[in-house]
Amino acid sequence: MAFDLTVNGGVHRVDADPQTPLLWVIRDHLGLTGTKFSCGIGQCGACTVHVDGRAIRSCSVPAATAIGKPVLTIEGVSPDGTHPIQVAWKEFDTPQCGYCQPGMIMSALALLRERPRPTDADIDTRITNACRCGTYHRVRRAVHLAADLMGRAR
Amino acid sequence: MNHDVTRREFLATVAAAQGAFVLGFWMPEKIHAQTAPAQAGSGAVWYEEPATPEVNAWIVIAPDDTVTIRIAQTELGQGVWTSNAMMVCEELQCDWAKVRPQYASANRDAREKAPEWTLKVPGNGATDPKGGGEPTFGNRDRTGVAGIPDSLYRRMRTNAASSVKDGRYYLQLAGAEARERLLLAAAGQWQVPVTELTAKNSVISHASSGRTTTYGRIAQRAAQTPHPNPATITIKSPDQWTLMGTEQKNLDVPPKVTGKTVYGIDVRVPGMKWAAVKACPVYGGEVRSYDFDAVRNLPGVRSAVKFPIPDPALTRGRVFSGGVAVVADTWYQAKTALDRMPIEWTIPPENAAVNTPMMNDALRAELDRPGRVRVNQGDVEAGFARAARVVEATYSTPYLARARMEPGNATVLVTGDRVDIWIGDQSPQETRFSAARITGVPEENVHLHLCHLGGGFGRNGNGPQAEHAIMIANAHRGTPIHMLWTREEDFIGTTYRAMGMARLKAGLDAEGWPIALDVRTCMQRDGFGPDASFDVISRYHVPNYRYSSHTTRFHIPVGTRRGVGQAAHEFYRESFIDELARAAGKDPYRYRRELIARTNLPYKADMIKALDMAAEMSGWGMPLPRGKARAIALEERGAEGNGSATISAMVHTVSVSREGKVRLERVDVAHDTGFGLVNPLSVKKQIEGQITWFYNDAVHQATTIAAGRVVENNFHTFPLSRIHEDPPEINIRFFSTGHWLIGMGHDRATSVQSAIGDVIFQVTGKRFRDLPYGKHDLTWS
Repeated sequence: MAFDLTVNGGVHRVDADPQTPLLWVIRDHLGLTGTKFSCGIGQCGACTVHVDGRAIRSCSVPAATAIGKPVLTIEGVSPDGTHPIQVAWKEFDTPQCGYCQPGMIMSALALLRERPRPTDADIDTRITNACRCGTYHRVRRAVHLAADLMGRAR
Repeated sequence: MNHDVTRREFLATVAAAQGAFVLGFWMPEKIHAQTAPAQAGSGAVWYEEPATPEVNAWIVIAPDDTVTIRIAQTELGQGVWTSNAMMVCEELQCDWAKVRPQYASANRDAREKAPEWTLKVPGNGATDPKGGGEPTFGNRDRTGVAGIPDSLYRRMRTNAASSVKDGRYYLQLAGAEARERLLLAAAGQWQVPVTELTAKNSVISHASSGRTTTYGRIAQRAAQTPHPNPATITIKSPDQWTLMGTEQKNLDVPPKVTGKTVYGIDVRVPGMKWAAVKACPVYGGEVRSYDFDAVRNLPGVRSAVKFPIPDPALTRGRVFSGGVAVVADTWYQAKTALDRMPIEWTIPPENAAVNTPMMNDALRAELDRPGRVRVNQGDVEAGFARAARVVEATYSTPYLARARMEPGNATVLVTGDRVDIWIGDQSPQETRFSAARITGVPEENVHLHLCHLGGGFGRNGNGPQAEHAIMIANAHRGTPIHMLWTREEDFIGTTYRAMGMARLKAGLDAEGWPIALDVRTCMQRDGFGPDASFDVISRYHVPNYRYSSHTTRFHIPVGTRRGVGQAAHEFYRESFIDELARAAGKDPYRYRRELIARTNLPYKADMIKALDMAAEMSGWGMPLPRGKARAIALEERGAEGNGSATISAMVHTVSVSREGKVRLERVDVAHDTGFGLVNPLSVKKQIEGQITWFYNDAVHQATTIAAGRVVENNFHTFPLSRIHEDPPEINIRFFSTGHWLIGMGHDRATSVQSAIGDVIFQVTGKRFRDLPYGKHDLTWS
């Protein structure tokens, strides 16, 4: 069963069961491996992507639900790491193992687009991704810096 | 390997379905082009396709002055690619902006011996202030479990927080050897004495003639210029460091924010098929039968193969489980089919009968019996007889999983005479050995393409992921198999930190100072760090001290989870000191300080400094609102004195709401630098990360056993804290000390455990001695 997905601005023909979780279509059919698999039950957020501008846990959403809606993955944020959120992340040397960071960045980006000046309480409520290395202290600072940089760019 | 009919049948299926896909010869450059874009974190192997000849086994310099530095340890987020490259760069005097780390080849390590000049460390003319912190390359163990002392890269494992300590001597030597040969090559080209040349930032200058050249231009010639006398090479002492000791951002961070880093799970090889695995949930169990016919017609499904319990000789004696794999075109197809495939297990009844309450009873019973007496100083019984007061407490800690974010996986291709493995691996020499044993291909023909790990937290204790994948691929020779565990399988495949229990009993004199201390700790006999923190001598002064270590036998495979036994033992020790201070009516900071001052420990001044600094930073003694309190604890490794140590103290400011919600509000950290931290930025990140790690140990996490199996097997039952629980304020200050550091990666911030317990006591009046605190009623009114 083939269907079309719009990912990072391009339309891709996918030959897969549309009930396959969006994560596996992104990773194994589209070859975009920046989005990570970790828990498979929507707990940890390593698989976070945007569908229609909203951060969702792609391991627990059938690909069918993304048909006709724009999907954004970490690869679409910027290819070279120059997006302000990536610049901010690098400024604090935020990642350790880095495995959860694409999902973390996608959650933070969704928050920043909705609330350009997030408070600490916003960050606490909206960034619910798990990081086993414990990078939270730098993630928080990076989100605030990203808000500054994105504000300046506007 | 099993050789049942089923396997052969499906091998035939595979061949038919794929048009007899057979890889008769090897094309590494094609595979590498697929899997390894030119970026940090890739699995590319330069030595197989060198643009220029290497200067030595650690260093390749390209014509554009890019310096590739080969790192024999694995990057798990701890920063080893950066810190160990800094050691080479410090001596090489190359341009740091053009350094590119890369994994050293585990295959080459099987085929080449270490250069003579690297075998002489330490003390090879190095002006090492005290000669401490010697590299530990282990004995001659061909499995690589303890490193291989005379192989090219010797110790390729990444464990015990020792990558910096063990890498320092020979990586500095490697950089110095290369620099001297680059200078000799330039001197030869210009026909001038080498003593007239200087090297800085990859540029060699001859002052009197004004000539300059770059490392990139001279590297080819340097590669052919042997060092006339490597015994004369010296390395810099910490007071001469210019790059080492400065905060450097991690070189592999940029691809981690674009999603380009290639972890094991991201490896794609032409013709690759995916395997999903189910192992028997009770360790020691095996597959009795499975019904592939029920799923063979599902989309993408190719084959199924069962595998036995991985040979315990390859897993350090740990007994995991046998299992079955379904192989399909995509992993999700394989997993979907496997979930629907009926499987019957053969489960050892004695293992299936085990549960956590029984195990707790067994540990407690063992503490009542005589243990192995490790220390017996003075006369403990006479001390108790004289005591004005006796305090006794029993503490316990559960099994704990590592729960790294990337589930276990490996991609393996077995052909007639070669094995290729793409894997994130903390112990590639061991995996190489396993591959040779399982496939019969000699180690010299096993090629590991190392990837970064999505978290490690404990060597190859991350279980038999490689062994599973090798066994499955060995049954599908010619087809690359990417085996990936589900999260639930990752909890079955891992080893656990051993559950433990300790009983501490102290006799106090009339003023509340201990005059007798009896410490008994218990964990299962193959647990790691069974004597940590209490052995040799008491860290807090007591004239009569006895320490005994007790053991049981359980079937749960245990391994080197971050902090090993020490994390639990420091919880026991520091909690008990808090209880003694409270029993004596004394301030826990001053009580600790006085008891350390009374010892003869070699680093007692450092320990006192740590306590003083942390207390001062935290505003110790300043009033806090009701519901909030501070607790202090000492963290040490090697305080008993063996030439190196890591010493810190932390004050944790914690609140407990009336509803029983614990919040770590602020952490003040005083940490020693030893003779020098290589990358203080990585050290800070390690401390921050371990505050989160041990907060989880203290508040949230426990692995329990029911009917012989692990109960908590995903993040809804084995919770990870999120950003809203991160302490809003972390202050880290360093103080310099006169010893080498042991390491930073695994036993910092153990103090979170005892500190939260003591604050809960201060706020609620309740003392809990079994972790995690989150399972207790912490409400108060």
